[in-house]
Parts: sequence; C-alpha cells; structure tokens
Amino acid sequence: MKQLVLTPKGSSRIPVEAEVISPDMIVGKTLEEVKALPIYRGNKTHSLSEFFNVEGKVAETPEDQHIVVDGDAGHVKYIGKGMTSGRVVVQGDAGMHTGAQMAGGDLTVTGSVGDWLGAEMKGGLIRVLGDAGHLAAAAYRGSSEGMTGGCILVKGSVGSEACSFMRRGMVVFGGDTGPFTGVHMNGGEVFVFGELGKRAGAQAKGNGGFIATFGGVREVLPTYIYETTYTPTFMRLYIRQLSENLGVEKAVRFIDAPMRRYRGDMAVGGSAEILVTEKA
Amino acid sequence: MSFTHNGVQIEDTFAEGFSMWGSRIIITAASQRWANTAASSMSGFATSVIACDCEAAIEAEVAPEATPDGRPGTAVMVYGFSRGKLAESMLNRLGQCVLTCPSTAVFNGLPEEEADEMLDIGKSLRFFGDSYQVKMRMGDGWQQRRRFWRIPVMEGEFVVEEKVGAKKAVAGGNFLIMGDSQEATLKASEAAIDAIHTLPGVVTPFPGGLCRSGSKVGSTYKFLKASTNTPFCPSIKNTLKGSMIPPGVNSVLEVVINGLEEKQVLKAMGVGVDAATRVKGIKWITAVNFDGKLGKFKMSLKESLGGI
Repeated sequence: MKQLVLTPKGSSRIPVEAEVISPDMIVGKTLEEVKALPIYRGNKTHSLSEFFNVEGKVAETPEDQHIVVDGDAGHVKYIGKGMTSGRVVVQGDAGMHTGAQMAGGDLTVTGSVGDWLGAEMKGGLIRVLGDAGHLAAAAYRGSSEGMTGGCILVKGSVGSEACSFMRRGMVVFGGDTGPFTGVHMNGGEVFVFGELGKRAGAQAKGNGGFIATFGGVREVLPTYIYETTYTPTFMRLYIRQLSENLGVEKAVRFIDAPMRRYRGDMAVGGSAEILVTEKA
Repeated sequence: MSFTHNGVQIEDTFAEGFSMWGSRIIITAASQRWANTAASSMSGFATSVIACDCEAAIEAEVAPEATPDGRPGTAVMVYGFSRGKLAESMLNRLGQCVLTCPSTAVFNGLPEEEADEMLDIGKSLRFFGDSYQVKMRMGDGWQQRRRFWRIPVMEGEFVVEEKVGAKKAVAGGNFLIMGDSQEATLKASEAAIDAIHTLPGVVTPFPGGLCRSGSKVGSTYKFLKASTNTPFCPSIKNTLKGSMIPPGVNSVLEVVINGLEEKQVLKAMGVGVDAATRVKGIKWITAVNFDGKLGKFKMSLKESLGGI
C-alpha cells in the first residue's frame, strides 16, 4: 500500500469539513493536486494544504491507498466519508461524521470521535480506540434506514441514539451506551460490554435485530417482555467473531453465559431482542 | 491380468463410479456424544440409492476449534441422484433426526466457492418455527455474508445455516477384499475402513463402511431388480457356473466409497487396498464394474496405488 501522511497544522475552533480525506478522493492525483483539494471551514473554501502538511505517495486505486492523519483531528469532520476501500488511520481524535456512509475499507481512530460516527454506514470496518459521541451508526434525520452493513467497534463508551434505524451490520461498544441505543432498530447486531443505557430498543421492529449486553442494563422498557433465561447457541458464533476477528478478548468470558431474553418492542408489534447476561 | 501389492494379488481392473450430487454438513452439539447421535440418526437407512432415498454417512468428527460455534461436531455427507432429491432427503433427515436431537446445530460444510449450487436447507426448515423463527445475519458488508435461522424448540433454540453447498460428486468407488477366512477378511476390511476414514472428502455409506452382500443388477425373479452378487459368493463357488472366486478364497467383503471429487475417491481406494493387503490371510483384491455401462468414472486399482 502507498502511504500518504496528513499532519494537522494545529487545531481550529470552527470545524473543518474534509471529506476529501478518503482513499477514493485522492487516488490517481499528483501530490500537488491532493494539496489543492477543497475543504470547508465555515462558509469559506480552503485547500487541504492550508490545514495539513501533505507528504507521501498516492496510489492509483483506492485499495492500495493508506492515509495517515498524524495528529489530533477532533476539529475535522467527515474523515473517510463514503470511502469504498483502502485504509485510513487517525493518530488521535477525529471529528463528527467520521466514516459516515462508508461502503468499504478500514478506518481506525486511535483517540475518540464526535457525533454521527459511521452514520448510514454500508460496509467496511471502523475501529475507535476511545469513545464515540451521539448517534454512532445512526440514520440521518429523515432517513428510514441507518446502518445497512459493515462493522463498527468502539472500545470506549458512546452517547445517545446509537444505532438508530439500524438495518444490518454489527456494532460493538466496549463501554456504556447512552439512552435510546437501537431506537427504531430493524435488524443488525449490537453488542455492549458496558452498561446498556435507558430505553434501548425503543420502537424496534425486529427482523433479526438484537442488542446483547454483557455489562448489565439500566432498565428494560416495559414494552419488552421477558421470555426466558438460556444459553443461546447462536451467541457462540458472534463471540468467536468478536474475539477472533475483532480482538475483543473479553468476549470469550461470556461464551457459555446464561442470558435473559426480552422480546419487543411490543408497542410496535416488534420482535427484536434484548439479551442480558445473568450476573454471576 | 493382475499384479501384486504387499504380496497380495490385485486384479488389474477398475471400479466404475457414477455421478451423484453430494453435500456436507457439520452437526455440532453440547458434546461429541450428541453430535454423533444426531449424525448417526441422520445417516441411517442411507446405504444405497437402490432402495434408499439417498446415500449418507459420517465423514469425521470435527474438533471444537474447527466448528463454527466452537462445540464438538460431526461432519456428515449426503448424496442424491439430483439436486432436488438431495435437498428433499436432507430436509427430511435434518428435520426428523437433527432438529429433534438435543442441543444440536447445523452448519454448511461445503463453502460456496467449492460448491456448484447452494441448497435452501435452513431457509426451508425455518417454517417449523411457525413464524417465531429468527433470521440471523453475519458478516454483512465486512466479512463473508452468512445467514442462519434460529428456530425455537422445547429445549431451547435450533440453529441452522440458511444454505448448504452441493456439488456434482462421485459415487460407487469400490473394491472387494477376498480372504481365506471370514475372520481375516473382516479384520482386513476394518483396517481398510480405518485408513479411509483418515482422508477428507469421502464416506463409506454401508454399515461400518462395509457391504457383505454386494449386488448384481437383475435376478432370476422378474419382480426383483437387484439380487445377491452370486459370482462372488464363496458358498456356491464350486457349483455356480461363472463363479469369480479365486482359489483359496472363502470370504469377500466390499468397500463402497462416495466422494466429492474423483481423485479423493481414487486415493481412498488406494489407501484402503494398501491397508487391507497388510493383513495376513488376504488372497485377492478386485473391483466391481459394469464394463463402463453404469457410470463415467473408471477408477483403476493400479492407479489408486500409484501414490502409495
């Protein structure tokens, strides 16, 4: 892979919108053309090189492109937006809409990210080693479908309305989640290793969608009906995937864990599931 | 024409294999005991399509590390004359023998890239869930996409993969082990089966892998389409005109092999013959064919021993 390194020239109180930081947007260009790519700050258009030092090599195809944002980019929005392949690594924080509508490739943030992480994501893999803001893996306002594919792994905690309107794909939170996780969910798998926030799964329809929490739950909505406590065989497949493919080693502890199964949201005639591990 | 291997006469002939559709599933369970129980039940009454709906047998036990859910497993292979017949047999057998068996789950054992067709097995079985079945998705958009169904049952949940791979395969690989006594012939046949079962991709559908009766097409009775393989019955070797029992032979057992690939069946024949010929008392090895009238695969005994 050819590596392009973007080093932020300090920070900005006004966010910068830089959806050009994506393998798809830079491949096939010269380094000078990459430096001149437009980014936005407020109502002004700037060139990429005004906010980043740009050096390295540009590939011919996205799958061969590796972009490193070498420093804190918490003020930079839309990093990796819509990317289809290749690799992006942010060595620090990233701003809102990171990996939004991403369709493939690999995006890693070593720090924390702002709101709308992987919003309406279609494919690929996002790893965040810190925390994520609100509406991670969510649908944009007015959309009927949120995430439809891919995988998001956040090692830390996440804010409210994560995975809203989720349809397919897999999301893993290592820490706690805010309220309304999986609201309007209609498919997809959500794994929470911290505490699942209030009102999880509100208005969820089901379609195979579930929220599994291994760190307890603040409350389960009364419109979710407790069914049984059992050790689901199917969970073993996911736990293997979590530990072997995503490096979530603590998942293995729960491979034979009994889980309480709740089914709902009955308020909308749903058949989604909330699975909660029994406390030892 | 014959040659010797390990001091035993091997007739220079071939086994005549024919084409069937083959498939492989992995049954997992809470313990190896239950995985084997389900697998044995599912592959019962499936020795030969002469009178069974399919041919099926256990291929091997699968270690927990190699199964999708990390539990002990058993690989079963099923063979049918057409995709439709194969799917029908698998559906019936999985429904009656595996879905009903405690703690089991069923996974595809023939990946899509190796298969010619993907059969809707779990997709059909799901209706048993009476609308309470749950679709299970994995890998969408970031890994290989897989689909399963979770069916509520009295004990808990039955998990079955939505699609199972099937491919055009080879049936009818065989050889006959001829010994000077029943004891020596059985001992050599057991050694052959044990050796064959170390290989992947093949099964031996007859009881314990062995067929003692053999059969020939037709009968002196008009109502019977197959009858005992008289030319190879030692108890009538001196009175039957056309007996093919060599001197000194008093017992014959047949090993029948089905496999996903011709080369796998051929290799299994060679390994089996080699093991059998190491047992004292074995006089002859031959193979059954119909002069090319039955099937398109001609698997020669000499060629099968080529790599050994």
